[in-house]
Amino acid sequence: MIALLRHASYIAARSLRHSWKRSALLAIVLGVSLGLPVALTTLLAQASSDMRARASVAPLLLGARGSEADLVFGTLFFAAQPARGLAMRDLARVESESLATAVPIAVGATARKTPVVGTTIDYFAAAARPAHGRMFATIGECVVGANAARALGGIKPGDRFFTDPASLSDLAGVFPLELTVTGVLAPTQSPDDGAIFVDLRTMWTIRGLGHRHDEPAQSATPGAVIGTVPTATGDNKIAGEALPIARSAAEGVAADFHFHGSTDDFPIDGAIVRPADAKAQAILLGRFTGKDERLQLMRPDVFTERVLERIFGVGRVLGAVAGAIALLVALVAASTFALSIRLRADELALMRRLGASRGRVALFIAAEAVALVFAGLAIAVTIAACTPLAAPLVLRAASGGL
Amino acid sequence: MTEPRSTSPANSTASAAAAPVLVAPVLAATELVFRRSSGFTLSTPAFALDAGESLAVRGPSGSGKSTLLALLSGELLPASGRVFAAGSEITAASESARRAYRATRCGQVFQTFELVASLDVLANVLLPFRLHGSLTLDAAAAAHARELLARVGLADKQHRAIHALSHGERQRVAIARALVTRPRIVLADEPTGNLDPALKRAIAELLLHEARTAGAALVVATHDESILPLFDGMLAIGGGAPQ
Repeated sequence: MIALLRHASYIAARSLRHSWKRSALLAIVLGVSLGLPVALTTLLAQASSDMRARASVAPLLLGARGSEADLVFGTLFFAAQPARGLAMRDLARVESESLATAVPIAVGATARKTPVVGTTIDYFAAAARPAHGRMFATIGECVVGANAARALGGIKPGDRFFTDPASLSDLAGVFPLELTVTGVLAPTQSPDDGAIFVDLRTMWTIRGLGHRHDEPAQSATPGAVIGTVPTATGDNKIAGEALPIARSAAEGVAADFHFHGSTDDFPIDGAIVRPADAKAQAILLGRFTGKDERLQLMRPDVFTERVLERIFGVGRVLGAVAGAIALLVALVAASTFALSIRLRADELALMRRLGASRGRVALFIAAEAVALVFAGLAIAVTIAACTPLAAPLVLRAASGGL
Repeated sequence: MTEPRSTSPANSTASAAAAPVLVAPVLAATELVFRRSSGFTLSTPAFALDAGESLAVRGPSGSGKSTLLALLSGELLPASGRVFAAGSEITAASESARRAYRATRCGQVFQTFELVASLDVLANVLLPFRLHGSLTLDAAAAAHARELLARVGLADKQHRAIHALSHGERQRVAIARALVTRPRIVLADEPTGNLDPALKRAIAELLLHEARTAGAALVVATHDESILPLFDGMLAIGGGAPQ
């Protein structure tokens, strides 16, 4: 029996190798058709698990009234900046009476195409901690998510890089600011892994709301001072457009950055709200239900379940389609294999004429089919194994499509 | 040319025996009749071959030469008549026994070479060992296959792909394959039919030489007049009679 199996595998292996293009094509077709439905199921399961885990980080989200999806995917997944934001002073509405604590979030900037997230140190109470280095402390400092650190070329504490300019045509928009890495976050398998975190003041500086420059009176740049305003304490110089604006917080000059206006009016895109208890949550949710209310306070977990329901609805349809396609492809593959066997009828007839039994010839063909199926299964398993890596893409697609 | 027959010690392989003994020919057939549903009928006279003897089966295309070889190999069974080969009556044997006969005691060479394209030269020669459980593919079998390939002039092409060989070389591979199981009988169906005229005689001589060396009875179906003189006997079918 062992010798028979050895002969069968030998003949099958030689035959498969002889027609390697056909063999590879059949194995790939089988692998993809078998792996696709599995991959789809795995992908949806992984994506839903990731989304639920992420939603659990924020019991409530505060943002401008409008799209819940914009708010959730913008502030929790850093996918895109919500169309409308709110001001820092709005946080007082949820923090009053100690009903909750709010963690502001500002997004919209990038550094080497990696999202930069402005927040406070409180954000990390329930999220990642640095695996190396320390948290950011002053303007211009940042901590980098584990995946982002890898994507940025193995960046480590002490390294520096600039944020991306918003666009060449947006002269009043985001200016590049040099950031100094103070820490790399431990991996969390969440969107935090792919982001760069900075203090809110750094984000405002990136947005052009804060800056550092020479004292206008001491600047040697022509046009740095365009006028003088007399005051009781002396003349105040009026700075001109030519006054150089520093774009680096390095060299221990972070304290020289300043903001014009009250930071209470400064923009954020949303806030994670952590209510003191269930009662506080109910009270807070009730406060933002008015018709004229310009803010929204929503539950990301409820929103996530709604989104997942839609995704799984589509997923079920896709699964059915993928299953039908898989069946069809498997039939085509089987037909192709059967045809290839028919084309080798002379060879198989020769084996019979030389004394092989029908069973032995059938075993040779079966060995070939089994080898192809195993190769297809290996491809299917590989596809299924790689599928979780694609889960973030699903989240991104979902966030972009909603 | 009937079975069994008496033979003297002088032309017997049992030369040590002092008294006449009863020896069966390696291959013998009574008058055979085979009918196809199409109405074709093959009728052949009785004949017998000893070890090392050769017989050319001559006749025009469609006369039934290949059918006769199929009857001698046990692939087909006659409507009447009996075939005895290597000490057994093939026509009375089960299908399984006839398969075993073809695999172990009857080597076959075909007009179109009938080699397996996915196997190299040596693997094609050793193919019979993978086709029947009573044969063991061991080092001795492999060594014998290499020796046969050397004898047919293909020692340096053992691992060549079949498509890389000329027609003459392919037929040499087929001859080596037919002999690799040390068969008692070799049946060759138009072995020179697909070859250049210059190669026909060389291949026929090679087949005869190797069959004689192996002590096998050789039956060759051919309509090639030029190689007929090489054989010990001739059987004309399609109107002819054994000579």
